[in-house]
Amino acid sequence: MLTYVVHRLLVMIPTLIAISLIIFIIIQLPPGDYFESYIAELQSQGESVDMAKIEFLRKEYGFDQPILVQYAHWALGMLQGDFGYSFEYRLPVSEVVGDRLYLTALISIITIIFTWIVSFPIGIYSAVRQYSWGDYTLSFLGFVGLATPNFLLALVLIYIANVFFGTSIGGLMEPQYIGKPWTLEKIGSVMEHIWIPVVVIGTSGTAGMIRRLRANLLDELEKQYVVTGRAKGLPPIKLLLKYPFRIALNFFFADIGTILPSIISGAAVVEIVLSLPTTGPMLLTALRSQDMYLAGSFLMFLAFLTVVGVLVSDLALAALDPRIRLQGGATR
Amino acid sequence: MRLLGRVLFLPIALLVLLSVAGRASAIDLVETPSLAARVATGELPPVAERLPETPLVVDLDGPEQSLGEPGGTLKILMGRQKDIRMMTVYGYARLVGYDRNLNIVPDILESYEQQGLRRFTFHLRKGHRWSDGQPFTAEDFRYFWEDVANNEELSPFGPPKTMVVDGEAPRFEVLDKYTVRYTWTNPNPYFLPALAGARPLYIYMPAHYMKQFHVRYADPDKLARLIEETHTRNWAGLHHRMDEQYRQDNVDMPNLQPWRNVTPSPAERYVFERNPYFHKVDSAGHQLPYIDRVIVNIADSSLIPAKAGFGESDLQARYIRFDHYTFLKRGAKQNDFDVRLWHTARGAQIALYPNLNAADPVWRDVLRDVRFRRALSLAIDRELINQVLYFGLARPSANTVLPKSPLFEPAYRDAWAEFDLETANRLLDDMGLTDWSGGIRRLPDGRRLQVIVDTAGESTEESDALELIKSDWRRIGVELFTKPSQREVFRNRVFAGSAIMSVWTGLENGVPTADMAPIELAPTAQDQLEWPKWGEYYQTEHASGEAPDMPEVQRLVELNRAWRYADSTDERRDIWHKMLAIHADQVFTIGVVNGVPQPVVVSRALRNVPEDGLYNWDPGAYFGIYHPDTFWLTAARREAVE
Repeated sequence: MLTYVVHRLLVMIPTLIAISLIIFIIIQLPPGDYFESYIAELQSQGESVDMAKIEFLRKEYGFDQPILVQYAHWALGMLQGDFGYSFEYRLPVSEVVGDRLYLTALISIITIIFTWIVSFPIGIYSAVRQYSWGDYTLSFLGFVGLATPNFLLALVLIYIANVFFGTSIGGLMEPQYIGKPWTLEKIGSVMEHIWIPVVVIGTSGTAGMIRRLRANLLDELEKQYVVTGRAKGLPPIKLLLKYPFRIALNFFFADIGTILPSIISGAAVVEIVLSLPTTGPMLLTALRSQDMYLAGSFLMFLAFLTVVGVLVSDLALAALDPRIRLQGGATR
Repeated sequence: MRLLGRVLFLPIALLVLLSVAGRASAIDLVETPSLAARVATGELPPVAERLPETPLVVDLDGPEQSLGEPGGTLKILMGRQKDIRMMTVYGYARLVGYDRNLNIVPDILESYEQQGLRRFTFHLRKGHRWSDGQPFTAEDFRYFWEDVANNEELSPFGPPKTMVVDGEAPRFEVLDKYTVRYTWTNPNPYFLPALAGARPLYIYMPAHYMKQFHVRYADPDKLARLIEETHTRNWAGLHHRMDEQYRQDNVDMPNLQPWRNVTPSPAERYVFERNPYFHKVDSAGHQLPYIDRVIVNIADSSLIPAKAGFGESDLQARYIRFDHYTFLKRGAKQNDFDVRLWHTARGAQIALYPNLNAADPVWRDVLRDVRFRRALSLAIDRELINQVLYFGLARPSANTVLPKSPLFEPAYRDAWAEFDLETANRLLDDMGLTDWSGGIRRLPDGRRLQVIVDTAGESTEESDALELIKSDWRRIGVELFTKPSQREVFRNRVFAGSAIMSVWTGLENGVPTADMAPIELAPTAQDQLEWPKWGEYYQTEHASGEAPDMPEVQRLVELNRAWRYADSTDERRDIWHKMLAIHADQVFTIGVVNGVPQPVVVSRALRNVPEDGLYNWDPGAYFGIYHPDTFWLTAARREAVE
């Protein structure tokens, strides 16, 4: 087991290096750099540019140096914990990302819990009462949620919320609570706003989860031990939840690997449409303006979380499911 | 002796009393209510001492404006954190600024003199203070000039370009504590407009605050510690990071604007508090600005029209376009705001730019033939586009100055801008493009006459107009294809000559006066889409690009240069008219409509905002020339709890 973990950790290193190279190259691919797109943007609005300051910044951050030197500069900085400087926000990257991380995590965690709470009962019901009216209706609703474009649903819900409940458009809370300490009214305001992203992102996630749970559960329900249990007189719900359900949950643990980075990155499109102060819109702005350090460092952070998350989920799965532990070596 | 003393005592005493009383008491000053508490505890001096000895007195008793009452909070919306720099634009406190009639008048300066555009003497207001209470004196100008603009490490490329005339920097003199002078041997007509610009040329800096970041004045240990804390490379990097007066992201830095930012970044909601030492006062004795606080909420720019339509902004024009007008009108009734229509000041809302530096040699010859450009311009049904896209509220016109400019002539507007298919066809026939095939003419080398217009892909207005133009041009045998792209790719294609025609907005400043530089009418910069390589030639001072080889364009270059050395406004006006006439005759750019209305959302509780104004970047500073520090909120709104 230990050798396995060590082996995995060592493999992480070249993976992350490769990812960092890809990220850097892709961000630098569009013509020009941050300053050129900044100048282009200002000039197209007719604003004049303070060229002296831009030349100074360009020199200071080595934008006139060859690509590999710039890459080395960034990569070595990250290893030392210095994520660089965001030109767009005029702040160190850690400060820009820091605040938004909490809100992103909050929304993502609530969304995940919502998705599980909605999809588990529906999935179980669909499997147990297969091909019934309930099964068809609920699955249909799930698919409608999946098929509707997220941003469209978000816009419709914003409108409904404003017209019927007077909620302000977009954002995570009424403007006057931003930056203020947490009071009961502030929490109420957040609750008023947060249901929109949760419902929008949640509905698209539930369909997939319902179908997967249904399929896995149906596989399990066919098995011998379920028939045995029923014959022995176990109450049906206890029978269902204690055995087949837990086995069907295997794939949720496999999913943890992707849940961890998704908690941080959230659902970018919906967040942009709803104008939430989270990491999605920040990443989009950074990429559009080629704000190298902010975009690159944030993506590396996500990549790191993904790799760590996958490792964690592999270990968790091995711990949970004895079949993996015991059969693993034999299939080589 | 004693008798002399007695005789002189009274007049001397009177003189002393008068001189003390003369200090800002021509009007009876009224203490600002929101600052009264701080004045009572001694934290702030009383209003008579906060104002300069001769504050700028604004007379608001007019037909459109009224005296207001101080107080209240204004809410506006912006699309990105960087946009808080708009508060410096709206605040529009400048050394000299444009007034509503686009004349340059002193603002922060008490007065100025200039001789032949070569020598500028600026007089500051005695007793004028920065927003932290420290005096604003000639030292702030000296610090900028000697320790920043001429410091090798801070300005490796020298002082700002606007201050360097023919390679010569000005001679800077401090005449006394409140007077400075700049002298050049050649005239510098760009200096005052740059100081009055929406994004101003800063020739001063708060010396008392910035000295702590300068190696010449700061304590070395403290400086080293600051450098470490801010993760900058050296003291120059630190100084550059802290000295940003325009963007106002350093909340500790004092400034002279009516409101200053007190919210550190990053944030979604910025609060701008009133500057207690602002130098303006109204004729009833209230220190301006009237409004105590401005709150800038950051929201995604595509949501801003919706938010404005639901009343979440008290004053909004940014990110609002004409096609939002009907939506805003509907929301206006329920949500307590008005939608006013101001006027944009672009020379053209949509203009086509034939690329005279196109790489394709056949196309280059065709585009350089003035008959081709005239024909294309005559074949556009501008009135139809006006009706379809702008409800007939815009003005069909060539890409030229607007009626509001003193340089306007109807001949410029109508030059080659009528809808005349017959003449257009005849011009193309005269050029020799008489080979038709399948309803489209052929180029001299046999290819079909297919004009591919590059767009930056950002504006649906442009695409819609091009659709309408496409059907018009088909009638003269020209086929139009649109090639949407992305802004940087678009610009690079035009600069390289790969794009034969592009579409963008027209003249940036459509309301020039004779004293504003005609740089847009001659090749001066690479981003002029009609002649990028010629513009590059002059922008890089002959280092790259190509010299113009068309006699009309060479004439424009000469005239632009002559304008700089012109001695009088009459001479400058004459040059402007010559340049505008050349453009009208040669149709270097094909304008479609101008004067497109700009919807402005104004809360019903906000007063002194003009019904009809000019919405333009420079001159205009969007709301700047109308001075938002004179806008005030009704009593009901002031008392409402935030």
